[in-house]
Formats: sequence, structure tokens, C-alpha cells
Amino acid sequence: MKILTTVKKVVDVELNIHVQDGAIVEDGLQYVINAWDESGVETAVQLKENHGAETTLVSIGGGDNTDIIRRCYAMGIEKGMHIDDPALEKADAFIYARVLQKVFEKGDYDLVITGKQAQDTDNGQTGIILAEYLGLPCVSNAVGIEVIDDTHLKVTRSGDTGDEIIELELPAVVTVDVSINEPRLPQMRGLMMAKKKPIEKLDLAALGTSAEEIGCAAPKSEVVEFMATEKRAGGRKFEGEAADITAQVVQLLAEEAKVL
Amino acid sequence: MAKILVVADIKQGVLKSSTTELLSKAKDLGAEAAVVAVGSGVQSLVAELVKAGSDTQYVADDAGLELFSAGPYAAAVVDAAKQFGADMVWFGFSESSKAVAPRVAAQLDAACATEITDVTLGEPVEVIRPAITNKVLQRVRINTAQLVAVVRAGAFEADEGITGTENVVQLAAPEPDTKAVVKEVVSDTSGDIDLGDADIVVSVGRGARNEAGVELVHELARDLDAAFGSSRAMVDAGFMPHNKQVGQTGRIVAPSLYMAVGISGAIQHLAGMNGSKVIMAVNKDPEAPIFNVADYGIVGDLFEVVPILREEIKKVRS
Repeated sequence: MKILTTVKKVVDVELNIHVQDGAIVEDGLQYVINAWDESGVETAVQLKENHGAETTLVSIGGGDNTDIIRRCYAMGIEKGMHIDDPALEKADAFIYARVLQKVFEKGDYDLVITGKQAQDTDNGQTGIILAEYLGLPCVSNAVGIEVIDDTHLKVTRSGDTGDEIIELELPAVVTVDVSINEPRLPQMRGLMMAKKKPIEKLDLAALGTSAEEIGCAAPKSEVVEFMATEKRAGGRKFEGEAADITAQVVQLLAEEAKVL
Repeated sequence: MAKILVVADIKQGVLKSSTTELLSKAKDLGAEAAVVAVGSGVQSLVAELVKAGSDTQYVADDAGLELFSAGPYAAAVVDAAKQFGADMVWFGFSESSKAVAPRVAAQLDAACATEITDVTLGEPVEVIRPAITNKVLQRVRINTAQLVAVVRAGAFEADEGITGTENVVQLAAPEPDTKAVVKEVVSDTSGDIDLGDADIVVSVGRGARNEAGVELVHELARDLDAAFGSSRAMVDAGFMPHNKQVGQTGRIVAPSLYMAVGISGAIQHLAGMNGSKVIMAVNKDPEAPIFNVADYGIVGDLFEVVPILREEIKKVRS
């Protein structure tokens, strides 16, 4: 089984994010691998270890993605490519999907694994749109994957009424949720070895396409402004004798907040 | 006049409130509003779909649609969108919507916006949506003639006086997805009220430690006729099912009262419940981030506090 897994460099959401003059303040931002893609990488590596799958990662844009790609190598991914091109600056999910389509068509993959969403945009669209463009079956929000045979996977999807058990025919696209696994921490040795592994760097021309073909000049949507969310202020914190403070809070919920 | 197609939010044969909310917004914007209902036995919901405010009802009713499958559901929505000539296709917030909307957008070559909190018609159409785990808002310009959007839970208000007209259009049953076959659905049979429907949500976190702790908090939820939710930690640990997870990657809820019991308040969890009217938290750690957003915070061990809460609530409600 040949697996292509996507990896996006995104802003670290644990840090404070500030907005000024309609834009995100760059100063102080740190970048990390998208948590959902990290679970995707772990999924691919487990399929390698348990079923001999071959694994390749692709990362698009982001400038210098060397650190996160090496981290994935250290986790066990065998090959990687970084697609970067100035034309991709305003890429939306559809444009990313077109680029991934080109990457897929250049190779011989049976399974594409993407994180179900990216923690910067929270869009959750790219993997599903890619499947549409490739004409492949797709299961999104996967929380479990098992191999049935060379051409079929059993995928558990978290749905609205419960877990959906789906038999998926390869080639296919699966988008994973973080609850599918706990990504391994790369070991020191793995990180050292990763430094020696090449990263194939490609622009759109090297990928055999062009900005026109991908539709870079006309993204379907564009962020024109960032705004701060209304900060929810904390209220009152009660410490002391459990019986007292609990009774107090219940009174307040009933009489002040009027929600009981 | 803009034409907005609302995808009916139907769960286990029941029409959910987001349908009326989305239709209300559509009419509020002065648009022509239609609805598309996909599933098995959904024909029986026509009267409700009219009452919800739709003036045309596209119905794809087929036994093959009993279990949700993104491919056929998307095909039915695309069929309705094309027949109606929709400028916009709106979905209420659900896992099904998130799986179907991008497919519909790709097939219509339309823009796709997820979790929108507002939309303005115009040249161009613009939407507002949260990003970066709910830390910022984005104003997004739509460059295409058509937009497919998934609307954040509770973003639009239902117009109590809304009316519609019956005008049913039967859709051909879509082809089943033979390459992604749903074999079974392991349903949540707890009988709890759904997270999206409840006025009060009680959620359990790592502080509950084990099954006994989870059951203790579940009792509190039952006392309040509340929905029972979870932090990611308890889902990962196997104590709670996936579809009860409240958070950025799970369910987004906005009830009148949200009780976070034994939950520390990670960013991803806050993104899922920050819109609640009133937040009450119970946590042993006075520094837990949940206290930064809770209107009322009780610092204490939930094993001690929850039984007292139940007592006090019983007193107040009698």
C-alpha cells in the first residue's frame, strides 16, 4: 500500500493571538505541525509498521517547513516533498486540493491521509475536495482504520448518531480526527537521522503544472480582515467549604442567572 | 432576489431547530427560501418543513438513504441546488453537514465556508467565521456566484412567526456509494437528550477519573434533564463516546447553562462552549483555565461537590 499524507505548518494555537489593523500580529507567533496532520502521520506510520505500507508526505506553502518535515521523518515517514510557489500565497482549500491532485497523479498512491481540518483555518474541506477532484471515495472524521485486505479498509467514522463503520475501497482519501491515535514523540536518534534525509522541493512548474491550471489567480474565497473575538470575561470563583460555596452558586444560578 | 437552499437538519427522523433558524435568516435577508430533505421516510416531514418557513420542498426519500452516506446525500443536495437555481446552499452544523458541504461545493464549483456566524448579501457576498481555534474572527469575501456554507450552531435566530408554502418537488433517488459502504452504525443508546437540543449541558472531564466519576456527573445531568457532554480527555480514555465530545473538533454548543465538571478548560474545549449564555465550572485546581471563562466557578473536588450540587438543585427546583 502506498500512502500519501499531508502535513501543514500552522500557527501554534496555544499561544496568544493578537489582531491589529485587521491582521494577525506576526510578532511572537510560533509555528507547529497541524495537530490533525500529526495524527494522520501517525496513522500512516502505523500502517507502515503493521502492514508494510510505503509512506510519503507532502507539505504545501509555509516557507521553511524543514523542521516539521524532519519531525515527520523522525516519526517514520520515508519520503517527503515540499511544494512552494509564490502563486500559492492566497490559496484556498480548492487550490490546495488542485495541487494535491497533481501530486497524487504524479505518483502511484493507494491512500491519501489528511488531517480532518487545519487548526489555523478550521475549514475541514481540503481532503474532501481532493477526493471529489480525483473521483475517489472518501471518509472524513475517521477515528479508526483497519486493513481488511490490499484493496479494502475498515474505517470508523464519528457521525451524528454514533460511530459509523464503513468498508472503503482503495484508492481512497481518509481525513482523520485527532482522537484516532496519540502521535509518537520523535526520538533523538530519529531526529538526527532525519537531518540526512532529503526533502524534494518543487514549485508548480516542477510539479508539471502552472498557476493558471491550478486557478491561483482566482481563489473562490479570500480573508479580507481578521477581527478579535469578544473576550468572555471570567466571573466569580468561589473557594472554601464545599457545602457553603456550592449552595451559594446554586442560589446564584437560580436567582441571578435564572438558568435553573 | 437571492435564492437560498437550506438543507433540512434531520436526525433519526426528527427535524431539528436549525432548519427554522436558517430559513428565518434567509427570509430576513429577503431571499427566496427552499429546503431539501434527504433520508428515508422524510416525506412525512413536509408539513413541518413548510411550517419551518420553506416555499419549496425538495425531497429525496429512499430506503437506501436510511443510513447517512456523504456521497448520495451530496448528490441529492446538488440536484436540488441545480433545480432551484440556488445562489447559496446552507447547512446546519453537524458531522453530516461537514462531510457533505465540501462535496456539494466542489460539484457546483462554488465557494465553501464552514462555521459561519453571519452572512451579508451584496456584491460580493461576505461571511464572518471564527478561526484559529475560535481565537479570532475572519471576514471572508466570496468571489464565486454560488456559496455553500455550514452555519455555526445557534448563529441565526428562529422567527417564531415564519410561514411557508407547500410546493413539493420529488428528487430521484441518488446512486448509493458502492466504494464507501456503511456497514453499521454503533448508536448512542443512552437515551440522553441531544447536545444540540438542550437548554442545559453538563460536561465531564478528566477530573472524574473513571466510570464511577462519569456516572456521578451523568446523574447530575439527568437531574437537570440536561444533555451530557465530554471533554476530549474522557473520549480518548474511552469513558465517553466520540459524538459527545464538546470542543473545536467535536460539538459546538450554546445552551443557556453549561456546567463544566472536572474540565480544565483547554482552548479546544472552550472553542466548543464559549457561546453558552452562562458557564459554571467545578474544578479542584484554582488555576484551571476554565475559571477564566466561567461566570460561576466552584473550586473543589467534584466527588464532594456534585452530590451537594444535586441536593441544592433539587431544593431550588421544588
